[in-house]
Amino acid sequence: MGDLFAILTRNFDSFSAGFLTTCRLVFVSFAIAMAVGTLIGGLRAAPSKALNRIGAIYVEFFRNIPLLVLIYIVYDGLARGGLRLSAFVAGTLCLGLYTAAYVAESIRSGVFAVGKGQFDAALSLGFTQGETLRKIVLPQAIRTVIPPLGNLTIAMIKNSAILGGSLLAINDLLLNGRLIANNNARYVQTFFWAAVGYLILTGAATIAVRVLEKRLVIKR
Amino acid sequence: MGYLVDPENWKWITSGSNLKFILEGFLVNIEIALIAMVFALIFGLLLALARLSNNKVVSFIAGAWIDVWRNLPLLFILLGFALALPGALFQAWEELVGKSVPIAFQSGRIVAALLGLVIYNSAVMAEIMRAGIVSLERGQGEAAAALGLPYWKSMRLVVLPQGLRRMVPATVSQLITLNKDTTLISIVAIREVLKHTKTVVNANPFLGDFVKAPPLQAYLFVGLLFVLVNLALSRLSQRLEIKQRQATGTKVESITGIEDQVAAPA
Amino acid sequence: MLGNKNWRVLLALLAVVAMLGAACGGDDADTDAGGSEGGDEIEHEEFEEGSTMAKIVEKGEVTIGVKFDVPPFGFENPQSGEVEGFDVDMGKYIAEHLGVEPKFVEAISDNRIPFLQDGTVDIILSTMTITTDREAEIDFAGPYFIANGRILVPEDSDIAGIEDLTGKKVCTAIGSTYESTLKEQAPEADLKTVEAYSDCLTLIQNGQVDAVSTDNVILTGMIIQSGEDFPLKLVGDNLTTEPYGVGLPNKTDDMREFVNGVLQDSFDDGTWQSIYDEWVGQFVEGEPEHPEDFTLDDALKLFPCSEFCDKK
Repeated sequence: MGDLFAILTRNFDSFSAGFLTTCRLVFVSFAIAMAVGTLIGGLRAAPSKALNRIGAIYVEFFRNIPLLVLIYIVYDGLARGGLRLSAFVAGTLCLGLYTAAYVAESIRSGVFAVGKGQFDAALSLGFTQGETLRKIVLPQAIRTVIPPLGNLTIAMIKNSAILGGSLLAINDLLLNGRLIANNNARYVQTFFWAAVGYLILTGAATIAVRVLEKRLVIKR
Repeated sequence: MGYLVDPENWKWITSGSNLKFILEGFLVNIEIALIAMVFALIFGLLLALARLSNNKVVSFIAGAWIDVWRNLPLLFILLGFALALPGALFQAWEELVGKSVPIAFQSGRIVAALLGLVIYNSAVMAEIMRAGIVSLERGQGEAAAALGLPYWKSMRLVVLPQGLRRMVPATVSQLITLNKDTTLISIVAIREVLKHTKTVVNANPFLGDFVKAPPLQAYLFVGLLFVLVNLALSRLSQRLEIKQRQATGTKVESITGIEDQVAAPA
Repeated sequence: MLGNKNWRVLLALLAVVAMLGAACGGDDADTDAGGSEGGDEIEHEEFEEGSTMAKIVEKGEVTIGVKFDVPPFGFENPQSGEVEGFDVDMGKYIAEHLGVEPKFVEAISDNRIPFLQDGTVDIILSTMTITTDREAEIDFAGPYFIANGRILVPEDSDIAGIEDLTGKKVCTAIGSTYESTLKEQAPEADLKTVEAYSDCLTLIQNGQVDAVSTDNVILTGMIIQSGEDFPLKLVGDNLTTEPYGVGLPNKTDDMREFVNGVLQDSFDDGTWQSIYDEWVGQFVEGEPEHPEDFTLDDALKLFPCSEFCDKK
């Protein structure tokens, strides 16, 4: 286990560059997941059976397909079919759309938790179904969805490693770690520091969720 | 859109041994998922009991172990084991196993893959089980004690059966995730479905006369394989949930988590 | 707990999986019981007790790490389920001289050395260049092939050499010598490192990288794979000379001597030439450098200790 600190100091640039890239991947994927997930969640919660169906197909497809296969479909498959995306865009798109399925399910159960009473009351006050969903039910549903969102962010941080390990060749923490490990022939020490990096990220996400929960409880 | 459904692009399925080759790879994934799940359940239960132990030291260590492994990317764990574990382990495996198992399992690297999958998933299962047990009303445990049952008996006869039953949906959900995660072992050079599909997509003239598969269709096919298997599993889970509700008569509060991130109340 | 029906469904599923598993378990897809390329019965020696070779003979087979996705050196053929290529045939020749069956497993660039160090494989024959850095961790026999580094680009590309790589995306494998070569010779290039060269092929066909850089023979393999659909070409001068060596566990001089002897046999009895002609000769123009003229020291001088090298 010699060189433990030497590995970190000699390669700090590479480690931190990878760390920051992972952060960027997670941020962008999170934004995509929230946007698309809310949309699909809305579809799932809508009274119309047809919209429900569409939402269900999305969720079942993206929840049951491995992320790595999705990456190959989007980056390799679509490129051959004429749609070329940059590695970063393809990666965040995949991770975002994939996670969106889970966001959608969260929001759907959040909507049902809000209760039918709210829905009926709004309708009797003259809101249309669309307005009710958008202005009354969804905002409340989103609040019940905060704790799972924290878990979801942690899952995204972990899944981002898949982006770096695939043919996207995005220089995230994992890929840079492998390059450092290879060049220095010091696998244990390098992986130790990469692990620390990931634990910092997931730890930060956990703490952020706890803080958010407390603040929202007080608000109510 | 035309590109997607053009029958020219789907000819590869019936050409040569393409389909058989891909399905053979898929079988490897399924087998690994099942084996890993069995061991993850066993070790997960042990970990969960350790975490729930009244001994503060044991509980703390188990908790730390679980939290570390649960918060690391699985791919990271797999690569770490494949590259940094001592080799005597792999050699011993190969000597032990010889030719008695399918090809993909003969290489020592499968040990790294299984070890990584089991360590990670046992930590996740431990939390799921703990959530299930903790969610049981305290009354059950206390009632058992009032009846004179010692700790382990009450665990075995009262708490565990009911608590574990509650986590069946979460367990099936984790099995689905595990199925998907088996594709990651392709990155540690194990010949499973993704590697086989890549070979079919990158075919070359050395290999004789057959149709090469375009990547979009090939990977969509593999994706559909997974979606089908996982859908079947989740339908099974829903049926089990309904049966549970019928059997116990009460509305069972099922503990589900998003992507192995079930967190029991601390 | 579960109704009878659900148990039966589960059991049926498990039974099907088990049957399929047993059916596939019998295949000997990775080993070849056939004879060698050129030559009649080869007598193998009795090895000294305790020598590395004797231990391998005791095991009954020699595990050889090869590439599974790099034609023409090592690639898996989905039609036969077997792995074939230049490295594979050389491996079979060595196995014959040991008197055991060869077993081929996949060794990708960044796990080759760990697999050798930890005993997952006995020998590495996977387009591995001899460098002093690597010599510190493992032993090399050979060289058994001399390749040259080149650059591969699409046929209509205007990249003509290493100078034109500034700002372009270049693909190579994690853990290959080209990582450092490119960093030195083309520091402004955008390096994309991937798991396996088959990914580099995918990326250049899709236009997601502008060039691939690795050994000329591997690149030629890619040109052949791409065929008419994606014409590719080699450009630029030889970037490097890459002598391939046979990777052996560290400090096993007896094995190194033995393999060197086997390699010399292959040069002498024409085996090397016929393996070359079959896998490389037909596709590459001109006469290659013959490895017989290259010594190990010559090879080591080409790739001296870098800043990361620790003399153990």
